Amino acid sequence: MDPIVVPRPKSVRDPNRPASSLLLAQVKHLREAEKNLPPQYHSGIFSHAIQTEDEAAEYVRAVTDAIHRAHDDAPAERVRRVRSRKRKHGIEIAAVADEAAEREDKKEE
Amino acid sequence: MAAGLDNLKHIVVLMMENRSFDHMLGSLKAVNPAIDGYIDSDPFTNPDANNNPVKPQALAEFQGQLNPDPDHHFPAVDVQIYNGQTGKGRVANMQGFVTSYFHQREDVAHSQKIMYYFKQSDLPVLTTLAVQFAVFNKWFASIPGPTICNRAFAHYGTSFGRVDMDPFDVIEPIKSIYTRLVTASPPRQAKVYYYDTSSSTMEVANLLQHQTEVFGTYPQFLSDCDKGLLPDYSFVEPNYSDHDTDDGEEVANDQHPDHDVQAGEQLIAEVYTHIKNGPEWASTALLIVYDEHGAIFDHVVPPACQPDRFPSSQVDPGTGQPFQFDRLGVRVPAILISPWIPKGTVVDRVFDHASIPATISKFFLGGYSDASPREANADVFIEPNNGQGNMANNLLSLDVMRDDCPDFKMS
Repeated sequence: MDPIVVPRPKSVRDPNRPASSLLLAQVKHLREAEKNLPPQYHSGIFSHAIQTEDEAAEYVRAVTDAIHRAHDDAPAERVRRVRSRKRKHGIEIAAVADEAAEREDKKEE
Repeated sequence: MAAGLDNLKHIVVLMMENRSFDHMLGSLKAVNPAIDGYIDSDPFTNPDANNNPVKPQALAEFQGQLNPDPDHHFPAVDVQIYNGQTGKGRVANMQGFVTSYFHQREDVAHSQKIMYYFKQSDLPVLTTLAVQFAVFNKWFASIPGPTICNRAFAHYGTSFGRVDMDPFDVIEPIKSIYTRLVTASPPRQAKVYYYDTSSSTMEVANLLQHQTEVFGTYPQFLSDCDKGLLPDYSFVEPNYSDHDTDDGEEVANDQHPDHDVQAGEQLIAEVYTHIKNGPEWASTALLIVYDEHGAIFDHVVPPACQPDRFPSSQVDPGTGQPFQFDRLGVRVPAILISPWIPKGTVVDRVFDHASIPATISKFFLGGYSDASPREANADVFIEPNNGQGNMANNLLSLDVMRDDCPDFKMS
């Protein structure tokens, strides 16, 4: 059987094609997801104003990338938070120790 | 003996967008009368706004014809199936496609385009695969409604009561097919391959947000095919939009009206070719299926089905009645591909997208006890190979792998 020739599509990218209800629904889903991201991952795109496929794709990419980045960063962020908590806790212990030492000094005086 | 099932290690599902069976594959009835399509002598028509009968015609174009996007939300699909009948005792008749499309532009001539279908020669990829492998005569959308709730059935076996496009919450204990696989003991591999990050996935609310590790991109899928690294289960999403990329630009290939159908043909050919030319062809089955009919005509009445556990709200369907998920949506194209399937197989059993998690769970995990009622009652398109399968329904039934499977060449 000879290979079957697959015709090349004639269409070219249309940057102004209105976004379909499907793409607008996808934007809505991603808007909800974006709300759950820490602020530093927000896209800064006003998604309610999206009208074309091109604009929808730009927003979809920004939020999809951000979701992946936030998950990729999460382990490092977790370690940073634990270290920060430990450091803070350590400083508090040191501060309590200093106060106790000061009280001892005052007694001796 | 079930050599095909013994060899099977990978199942791939490619889900396209918004085209009905008759629109894409109906012409094949002329080639094989067992395929439940449409030929000119068939009596099926729809009335137009002047009450004149409109016959299906082989005049479908690749792009520029179905604009505006035909309404396929729940109330419109209700019109398409029942043509405006309401109340108990109404009978589905598939007479409302032209009426429904007329509502959008109030243009009688334009409304008739919803009855157009493609000639076999228009779609060399899809029609070749349909006649060369197994084509399903009765694969229906899961819901007479739009994309996202229908796609939910492919991922969860239910839409948790949704009949619309809004985000939904997963209701425990039901888990996605991906979670079931990756948390199994021993764990299985599962991936959703979206086209790229500008197209992303339609499964945002529950999967992408929480389980980024189950996602990959289409180039990764092609690479995994080529290198023999396919996971046990792959779900491939098409490109949903025209957009710029870092390397140039991409044209939508999901076939959603009014996107170019030929771009979708290229995608399907590419997916098939990479699997066929890769090292896992003998151990892979590919299902090509469409999520819903996109409001385009089909002559087969969707059957009643097992109601789901989650009825819709009274408001969401827009018909004044809650939907019990007790009827399937309109029929869609579905083709199963494997070198172990006899050429020209036509399947007459009833399937819907709940059959996808049902099949994957039964084949890879031996079953899933928390399945929704719809999934629990859905037929499987690949029989489990653990002694529990019904070998009379096994589609991968050849004893010897075929060496006459078609090849495609991009022009």
